[in-house]
Amino acid sequence: MNKVIIDSKNRSLGINLRELFKFRDLFMVLAYRDYRIRYAQTYLGFLWAIIQPLATLLVLVLVFNKAAGIKTGTVPYPLFAACGMAVWTYFSYVLSQAGGSIIASQSMIQKIYFPRLIIPFSKALVGVIDFLISFALIIILMLVYRYSLSWTIVYLPLYFLAIILTALSIGVLFSAITVRYRDFQHIIPFIVQFGLYITPVAYPADLVVKRIPTWASMIYYLNPMAGVTEGFRFSLLGTDPPSLLSYISFAVVIVLFISSLLYFNRTEKIMADLV
Amino acid sequence: MATRVISIQDVSKQYIIGHRLNGSIRDSIKGIFRRKKGSKEAFWALKEISFDVDEGEAIGIIGRNGAGKSTLLKILSRITLPTKGRFEICGRVASLLEVGTGFHPELTGRENIFLNGVLLGMSRKEVRKRFDEIVDFSGVEQFLDTPVKRYSSGMYVRLAFSVAAHLEPEVLIIDEVLAVGDTEFQKRCLGKMGQIAGSGKTVLFVSHNMSAIEQICNRTVLLEKGRMIALGPSSEVIQKYLSKSHPSVIRTESERKGDGSVRFMDFRILGTHGEEKDHFFMGEDVVFRIALLFNTARSHCDFNIEILNMLGDPYADILNHDFGLEVSGNAGETQVYEITLPEVWFAPGLYKVNIGLYKFVETYEVLTECLSFSIEQGGKIKRVTEYSPIYKVYQPSRWARIQS
Repeated sequence: MNKVIIDSKNRSLGINLRELFKFRDLFMVLAYRDYRIRYAQTYLGFLWAIIQPLATLLVLVLVFNKAAGIKTGTVPYPLFAACGMAVWTYFSYVLSQAGGSIIASQSMIQKIYFPRLIIPFSKALVGVIDFLISFALIIILMLVYRYSLSWTIVYLPLYFLAIILTALSIGVLFSAITVRYRDFQHIIPFIVQFGLYITPVAYPADLVVKRIPTWASMIYYLNPMAGVTEGFRFSLLGTDPPSLLSYISFAVVIVLFISSLLYFNRTEKIMADLV
Repeated sequence: MATRVISIQDVSKQYIIGHRLNGSIRDSIKGIFRRKKGSKEAFWALKEISFDVDEGEAIGIIGRNGAGKSTLLKILSRITLPTKGRFEICGRVASLLEVGTGFHPELTGRENIFLNGVLLGMSRKEVRKRFDEIVDFSGVEQFLDTPVKRYSSGMYVRLAFSVAAHLEPEVLIIDEVLAVGDTEFQKRCLGKMGQIAGSGKTVLFVSHNMSAIEQICNRTVLLEKGRMIALGPSSEVIQKYLSKSHPSVIRTESERKGDGSVRFMDFRILGTHGEEKDHFFMGEDVVFRIALLFNTARSHCDFNIEILNMLGDPYADILNHDFGLEVSGNAGETQVYEITLPEVWFAPGLYKVNIGLYKFVETYEVLTECLSFSIEQGGKIKRVTEYSPIYKVYQPSRWARIQS
């Protein structure tokens, strides 16, 4: 028989993984709900999920390749940009959805108990659908350009995990912080907007790194998505491996993820009183 | 010996009635610079609550609005943490603080059953297993694949309650969810709850419906201003609650208007035996005792009492002239009036009273919403389902079979 003991003196910071696991069905159900209502009552429905990445890719090609003349070496630019876009779309979707998720589910939070972390976490699953569509687009482009997959694809799961962790760590942090300070709701769109330019999504990272001193490059890689995006492209296209500096990105991801979870956990206890 | 299922020790909950201290960074920054946080005010919603519940017991929780009933349920449901104290609950807990938590209007009935069921603590497998029962109980099988936003509110509530009714928890925590739905359905819900309580499950039940509490719960907790002031057999505690005298002197915050030539000095609401009270069963006599002080001599006053519900809908207009009573007085004179309302048959709920003294267009004094009293279901009325507040009054009736 399971027994719950709640003691106001207990101020532990631990994350109850067993409980999270117990609520795995909720994780699935919440993700399913989001997926279902996303295109509910739209005329084109699921087609939107395909139109959006296509349109984005078209803009990237026109602006960065045709207008700005960015070269990507042996990799055809559309393929190069499609990889960056797949990463960025997933990241920005999960970040913005997870970031506002606690506020958006306040009615649920005030009426029922479950580990609140499930809410932002479930957004990572919802985004996978978009990611798969972008991924299919990459495969199609590879076939079109007769570009063969590289052995480096074995690293793909690792980099994909890194994308999830990055998106979630910022998303989880913001979901908790907006409970206290609503101001942070307005910061997420900025991150998504500016992040696109400071991340090697539509251009190769060495284009920037070559032109700035090392210390500036290190700052550039403080952006966790910088290393992650490069790594993703490396694993899929077999381009040059990401620079050593990208390890800065990974370190940032891990530190950010752990501290976000801790902060969330601390706020979780008072969430129902604040939202 | 029965096993202890819930054990609550000194549970207290404090809220900071922030004058919006949480909410924006600006406030927090201000908070750093300003030393004294004068606008913060601590408020104990619950204070040192302790009691134990054994397996199979059904416990009622009653009290006036703001007594801390919902806070207690929220703490026991783990939605919010107690500020002080501790509690233990053994077994699977399902708490129903609302019907249809997490229901999404865009999703179909079928999808919402899964969503809601899992939210309430079932696994998807369990929902699948009980799916047919849930659908049967709700009676909405024709609309299973329709988005619930197209449902009537009755259907919506029925579906939502059906999911909740098919949880198989060891401990069930229920806030006033029965105050919804039509009478027919309420009866089924109450039946289901009685069944749950009778089947050896532990139930905690908050309600304003005294007949339902009396029927389902063997023991009842009475809360007042966050403290537990009684715990015992339901019928005794309910009696205590209803007969409890609440000094009903004129509250200072009530608004006085008028030229003040006559003032209301005292206003009390009494029961038939002259005891002060503000809870009445449907059909009981309600007595108002009002003291006036004439600062200036006045004659032929209109002495008016108005009763409104909490939403401000007017219910009754009572005037001294209706029964030929003359209200006049000399300067400095004090008079006390007693106005008896025989058998008040309003629907159960909370009612506010306005009193006023006028003469034509002159207003001597008006007190708006100065007192309130509540009408509770029970007493002469035997029905156990909630008397729906959509009906404004209760019409008493005599029933007889004249042919069989």
